[in-house]
Amino acid sequence: MSIFQALLLALFGWMSSIYSPVLMGGLGGWYTLGRPLVSGMVIGIILGDVQTGIIMGAAIQMLYIGLVTPGGAMPADVNFASWIGIPLAMVSGAGTEFALALAVPLSTLGVFAVYGLCAINLFFVHKQDAYVEKGEFDKAARIPIVGQITNIVLRFFPILIINYFGADLVTKLVEIMPVWLTDILQIFANMLPLVGFMLLMRTLVKKDLDLIYFVLGFVLVSVANLGMIPIVIVALVIAYLKYQTTEKEA
Amino acid sequence: MSEEKRVLDKKTVRKAYLDWMFWNLSVQNFERMEGPAIVKMLADVREELYPGDKEAQKEMLERHAIFFNTEPFLGSIVPGIVLGMEHEMAQGGDVQPEFINSIKTALMGPFAGIGDSLLPGTLCPILLSIALGLCKNGEIIGPLFYIIVFLAAMIPLTWFLFSYGVKAGANAAEMVLAGGLKDKVTKAAETVGLIVVGAVTASYTHVNIGLVYTSGELSIDIAAILNSLLPGLSVLIMSMISYVLMVKKKWTVNKMMLFFLIVAVVGYFTTILTV
Repeated sequence: MSIFQALLLALFGWMSSIYSPVLMGGLGGWYTLGRPLVSGMVIGIILGDVQTGIIMGAAIQMLYIGLVTPGGAMPADVNFASWIGIPLAMVSGAGTEFALALAVPLSTLGVFAVYGLCAINLFFVHKQDAYVEKGEFDKAARIPIVGQITNIVLRFFPILIINYFGADLVTKLVEIMPVWLTDILQIFANMLPLVGFMLLMRTLVKKDLDLIYFVLGFVLVSVANLGMIPIVIVALVIAYLKYQTTEKEA
Repeated sequence: MSEEKRVLDKKTVRKAYLDWMFWNLSVQNFERMEGPAIVKMLADVREELYPGDKEAQKEMLERHAIFFNTEPFLGSIVPGIVLGMEHEMAQGGDVQPEFINSIKTALMGPFAGIGDSLLPGTLCPILLSIALGLCKNGEIIGPLFYIIVFLAAMIPLTWFLFSYGVKAGANAAEMVLAGGLKDKVTKAAETVGLIVVGAVTASYTHVNIGLVYTSGELSIDIAAILNSLLPGLSVLIMSMISYVLMVKKKWTVNKMMLFFLIVAVVGYFTTILTV
């Protein structure tokens, strides 16, 4: 990986982190560029292999698809998982299963970054109080801009450093991995999407019988081989029919 | 003097909206969370609210230097309401300063709940599932679909919620909180979501049975038999096992991953599972 590529990864990685303001806050950042599927596409563009980037992004996306990050309580952070896990797996020539294996510990590292940031930023909160007190309102208004420095330091530099210096190490690691280990990782990775989907189904399923919709979607692909757009149309029709019957009852 | 109250002009509302959208979480912290972003938003439009009145401006900013936390985007109606009420008070309307803060504090919780369950809990995962179904082989249309649909829906919606909050003040919240709008939206989304998630599970999850039963000349490929019953039956069975463990028995993500790791190790060495 060239230093230029590592810099670009660090830049976009910072822009897509949860507290980054530059892409209309979390709307274009955390919820768009920060989704591993979208991150994977951008990483693929930077490293010159869009297709592999998207495939790896999709794998990490599925693991974390059911993840909700309510104020302050972060169960896992997908930022490092995407912006370090995908590039390192790509440059080492390893498969998707390797990106997933890197993603899990990296997401824990990301949680430390979040908590560290929330503590450090108390300094800026008190600074803002002082500016309001002194009547320097413009300076008070600039606090959210100036205070972003914490987030830059905690996102930009780890992504830059680990990618740039980790690439060779990870490549060597992949080379010495025995076949049985990569096979087990592959079998493991093949089942891993279920973790994310079941976490999501905790909110989607209200009663066990609702699983029939899941099975319907499943066979539309496994048996009927339908593409995503016809499936969405079928799903919308069923949702509409269901809505009509509940309206009548009411 | 005109009896009619001066309406907050669109330029000011847009300025405050963009302020909120960009900076809401920029100095996230344990003590005030999104509080500093509210202060920034009001400080940037202070001249429009209290032209030249430094004391009133200071009072307003001090009043809002407190804890604030909501889901920033569907909850953008709350800073909108705050701006609308501050404006009303500045125009000499019948609003008490304490009232603004108590409304703000009362609304942030419900909108955090609604926002988190509808946005990262429902809209994002469903759109992402559709996107995943569109790029099984790494096609660029998948992520592009998500970016375009998500932003095309959310940018106008957040602007509508924010500016509606400014216009309607505290009454604006009722529209969203009452009326069962949220229930209708979630019900429809749940059905669509389940079908889509079932579809994506079938395309991305693999449980490959490697077991071949041989007895003399006879060899029986277990995977072929299972597939002749229903293609992807092994995946469906594993999905149901995961459903019981994660949804019914509430296993944590880490416990579930450990379970799959054990299944992979045991499955590999017993040759029941293969890559």
